[in-house]
Amino acid sequence: MTTSQPLLEIKRLNAGYGGIDVLHDIDIEMREGEFVCIIGANTAGKSTILRAISRLVPRVRGTLRFNGVDLTERAAHEVPSLGIAHVPEGRHVFPDMSVEENLMLGAFTARASSDLQQRMERIFDLFPRTRERRSQLAGTLSGGEQQMVAVGRALMLQPKLLLLDEPSHGLAPKVVEEMHDAFVKIHRGGTSILLVEQSVGLALDVAARGYVLDSGRITLQGASAELNENPAVRAAYLGI
Amino acid sequence: MKRWIPIAVIVLAAAAVPLLLNPTGYWIRVFTFTLLFAAMAQAWNLIGGLANQLSLGHAAFFGIGAYTSTILLLKFGISPWLGMFAGGALGGVAALIIAIPTMRLQGHYFALATLAFGEVARVIANVWTSLTGGPVGLSVPFVPPGFAAYSFKQLLPHAYIALIALIIVTAIFEVIRRGAMGYRLRAIRENAAAAEVIGIDTTKVKLQTAVISGVLIAMLGTLYAQVAVFFDPDTVFNAMSISIRVALIAIIGGVGTAIGPILGALFIVPVEELMNDLFSAGAAGLSQLIFGVILIVVILWRPRGLVTVIEALRTWLRGKGAQS
Repeated sequence: MTTSQPLLEIKRLNAGYGGIDVLHDIDIEMREGEFVCIIGANTAGKSTILRAISRLVPRVRGTLRFNGVDLTERAAHEVPSLGIAHVPEGRHVFPDMSVEENLMLGAFTARASSDLQQRMERIFDLFPRTRERRSQLAGTLSGGEQQMVAVGRALMLQPKLLLLDEPSHGLAPKVVEEMHDAFVKIHRGGTSILLVEQSVGLALDVAARGYVLDSGRITLQGASAELNENPAVRAAYLGI
Repeated sequence: MKRWIPIAVIVLAAAAVPLLLNPTGYWIRVFTFTLLFAAMAQAWNLIGGLANQLSLGHAAFFGIGAYTSTILLLKFGISPWLGMFAGGALGGVAALIIAIPTMRLQGHYFALATLAFGEVARVIANVWTSLTGGPVGLSVPFVPPGFAAYSFKQLLPHAYIALIALIIVTAIFEVIRRGAMGYRLRAIRENAAAAEVIGIDTTKVKLQTAVISGVLIAMLGTLYAQVAVFFDPDTVFNAMSISIRVALIAIIGGVGTAIGPILGALFIVPVEELMNDLFSAGAAGLSQLIFGVILIVVILWRPRGLVTVIEALRTWLRGKGAQS
């Protein structure tokens, strides 16, 4: 029996801020090419999982491996060059820089690459509105457009794994749909995605598999279709 | 090529000013200190403007620079030119030591922490009498005049050294601002969270900036010591007249811009001197009051600094040009 190495391997992860653990014994495994989501209520600790992977959480205990690399031995600024791109919650663009500058900074760790212009063109193809506004200051864009820039900036790295933290939060339904279409395209292009969402229905629509997080513990996991049918999930998160 | 012309004109004009002033007079001294404070504010501008960390403790590094070169000269007869680099090195080390615990702090907390560190430096300089001479202060010994000995009979050479120092510090500021480090600092300033997730080592970049800023202002401390000839801990480690003043000069002029600290110093240093000149004989304290009122008016008029006056002037001139 040959088992290929998992892309992301999280075992008995405990993490938190100050003296308090927010996550308790988290186990998550992802293979290359997967589209996985983490769902759960606010304050369940979903963002903390992504922040732990990106090494933005100071206190981490347990196993945290990416592509065989022990992430706990890496600093936050080393993570992007390993192939992990993180889109943090809340549309974090550089407001006084143009859309193009924002995207270029995304490839910050990929200094020597000569194909940055091509990468940018692919992002413009994915989000045509960013092409229209390429020389506009990012701070003057609408919320949805800013989120597109933030996702585009992450893609400039050509990551193996894309971490998306509440990408549709606070966006108009039509933009949310556009976003999710883009995620499906990104995934088809070969990028593995770990998506954190509060809109459970949307997340289970695009991801193949999901984990349910409740008060810092994983309470359920399975294929999206199963979770969608699960009475507990339906009652708690889908309001049915 | 074209953008170098106005810079060359300004530098030549600045170089001509000391020749027009009475070489033994009062105003050449004011001019020298204006240039020196512009350079100090420019050094502060790295951390305060580019890294957006409002340091109120730069007197610590400045004082270290002034004391290092003067003590080396007094005890070992080492030329202040060399002492300047020793002071710069120590200033850089001090900046690193202070920055490591404080750089994680933001806004007011960073300002208060650095203010406290600056005061600690002042207290240490006052009580470490075996090294610094304590509150009595130090006199820079008179040595036979000469460039190598950094000793001059007149203020004129000091004015030119201050001018060259200002040009060098400003050039360093511009090179950093336009380079990769400037981009990193700008990313951190605009959105620290986003900077971190794209792989910028935010702590390292800020520490580097703090050290460069500390080295530069410490080296300027030597220039100050050589002009002032006498100083004590309460002058060179002073929170108000050094730390807050250099921050104020950069802020009034336009923080984060290369021209800002120069405009700020050209405004603040002479106006303060003029106020003292006009009012101190009649009513002591009045000059400080009037100076304070002038500062408030300027801040209200140009919250983003005097540099915006130049921008407005440019737009106005362009409008004029378009009309004719």
